[in-house]
Amino acid sequence: MRDVKMAFRNLTRQKKRTVLLAAAIAFGIYIITMINGFTGSFIENVSENFSNLMAGHIFIEGVEKSETGKTLSLVRNDDVLMSAIEETETPWKYITKRSDMNVTLIFEGETAHQTVTGADWESEEYFKERIILTQGTFADLQAERQGIILSDKVADKLNIQLGDRVIVKCQTYTGQQNVGEFVMTGMLVDSSLFGGSAAYANIGYVNELLNLQPNEYMSMGIYLEDPNLIDDTAVSLYEDLKFKVDVFERNTEDDDENPIIAMLEQADEEEWDGLRFRLVTLNDVMKEVQQIVDVLNTAALIILLVLFAIIMVGVTNTFRMVLMERTKEIGTMRAVGMQRGIVRKLFLYEAFFIAVIGVIVGLILASITMLILMQINWGLETPAFMLMKNGYMTFKLPAWQVLLNFGIVSVLTLFAAFFPSNKAAGLQPADALRSTK
Amino acid sequence: MKLRFILTGLLLISSVFTVFAEPDFDQILIEIDKLGSFEDTDFSCVYTFVSEKPGEETEVTQARMFRRDASEQFVMLILKPEYQKGQGYLKVDENVWFYDPESRKFTHSSMKENVQNSEAKNSDMDGLSLAEDYEVDSWELGKLGNFDTYILSLKALNDEVTYPRLKVWVRTDATIVLKEEDYSLSDRLMRTTYFPKYVKVGMRYVPSQILIVDNLQEGEKTQMTMKNPSTADLPDSVFSKAYIERVNN
Repeated sequence: MRDVKMAFRNLTRQKKRTVLLAAAIAFGIYIITMINGFTGSFIENVSENFSNLMAGHIFIEGVEKSETGKTLSLVRNDDVLMSAIEETETPWKYITKRSDMNVTLIFEGETAHQTVTGADWESEEYFKERIILTQGTFADLQAERQGIILSDKVADKLNIQLGDRVIVKCQTYTGQQNVGEFVMTGMLVDSSLFGGSAAYANIGYVNELLNLQPNEYMSMGIYLEDPNLIDDTAVSLYEDLKFKVDVFERNTEDDDENPIIAMLEQADEEEWDGLRFRLVTLNDVMKEVQQIVDVLNTAALIILLVLFAIIMVGVTNTFRMVLMERTKEIGTMRAVGMQRGIVRKLFLYEAFFIAVIGVIVGLILASITMLILMQINWGLETPAFMLMKNGYMTFKLPAWQVLLNFGIVSVLTLFAAFFPSNKAAGLQPADALRSTK
Repeated sequence: MKLRFILTGLLLISSVFTVFAEPDFDQILIEIDKLGSFEDTDFSCVYTFVSEKPGEETEVTQARMFRRDASEQFVMLILKPEYQKGQGYLKVDENVWFYDPESRKFTHSSMKENVQNSEAKNSDMDGLSLAEDYEVDSWELGKLGNFDTYILSLKALNDEVTYPRLKVWVRTDATIVLKEEDYSLSDRLMRTTYFPKYVKVGMRYVPSQILIVDNLQEGEKTQMTMKNPSTADLPDSVFSKAYIERVNN
């Protein structure tokens, strides 16, 4: 205990130096904590935003092959899907049925390419709560069969206003040309990070343009009560469906291959009769995003190591200076009976205290910065919307990550101080006392 | 006297039937397809597309085209503009590939896609299959310029053809299409194509000038001009991915 007190007292003898060393470590910890905090919530936020935009955690699409071998996307009858959901006791919160199409919107000589999502808005209350309209309402959209909600960017491009009729050029689900007219009933903020926001319309009219029957649609989205149940629920549903209908194989031989791409390739390569179902989960979609997170975390670790390699050189040099300054003092202490081990410990304790102070300060500063950033509403119009939670930045820092960073910093600091401390412990009392440095 | 009256009457009736007798439109469609398809020879030419869009500069695209209709093969190589030079389309059976020399990759494409930024579709340069894909829903006689024409309303026989309904103006004195209107499933006029000039290639008349007007986007039109038509045999290797890659090296 006496050694610890001495080490602590030594730190206060050269306050400026101690502060600078601790500040360097604090800066490193600050940077790494910010990165870890950001990546910690990255996957969660992107996943939640994706599930909101795509209206589900598990998606089931119907795929047919035409006589000419063309892949057609539609669900003609979903009785079998609903019975599978019931039999597997899928813990769903909302079930959405949607049809999508890529269109060209034409208004007074201006054109815009757009993905239009058709949905039954009466059954999509949850989704409606999450889409912020700057003009018009979903009620207006529901009231106008040919209504459409466009993003502000597309509306600006077309120079269109609420109530204007816009020509829509599209293809039917079999690829025939079709033309219709939408009436703009609402405008939303373009909040997409990955390409243009979708436009929203009534499924009845979208189906008419796609030449689908009113009760048909392209994909079913199942929004679960708990997103943690995605994988287990998907497995149960898939196994149940496999016994009842034709489904695309979900297990790919190659673990690195994205399951969605694998299934799309299956659709191109394989032949079948009738309707075949494709089950995709949000986690399949997020596999690519997880790779981004892994890259960010690896980059963060490399930054940590490089940063601390630089800081450790500073620590080593500082402790060599400390050794030179205290050579006579060490000689005196050794002469009055202090053991080599205690001399070594004094140096290492000092280094450890600096590391602890640096880590604590770094964590406090990072926490303050995170708290400030979390209070700022960045709005939904920011391109980074997908990375945020309702326009607010969030950070998630698991305890193990903090402990790991602390462990790395402590070990590196002790390692940097080890050689000067060893040298100090190895000093002969007489030589040290004779020293003129 | 009575007999002469009856004979005159019969003659009159038969002449009326001759005038109003419905021509064999199925045969006309087959003949149109034959004129537009090179089943017995290969075909190659150079097309120039001049596209006009309001508020934009006129865009000129030039492409060399090779066709072997007997085996449904088609290759088109972009020659102009310079920044698109080397791009190519390859059709083998039902598969259409687009080659981008920058990425050096082939991606899936479709005959329903437009040629570069023009109003023309890839299928406009391929052989016709009107008789297979359409039936005559109604017809009338009309005049287009100085020519007497049959105006045929065609209805698609399957739901995978680009346009569910067509209207074509065919000369009554020769099976030559002068004008075509393309309608959407909702029966809206999308595109009008004029065929003002034809040239004789081998035994066929092939349109050497085509004007495509976009009826949805006012002022947008593309004029296609055909040059250097040839029915000379083409090597098999032309209709391959390797050829498109090779011409870029």
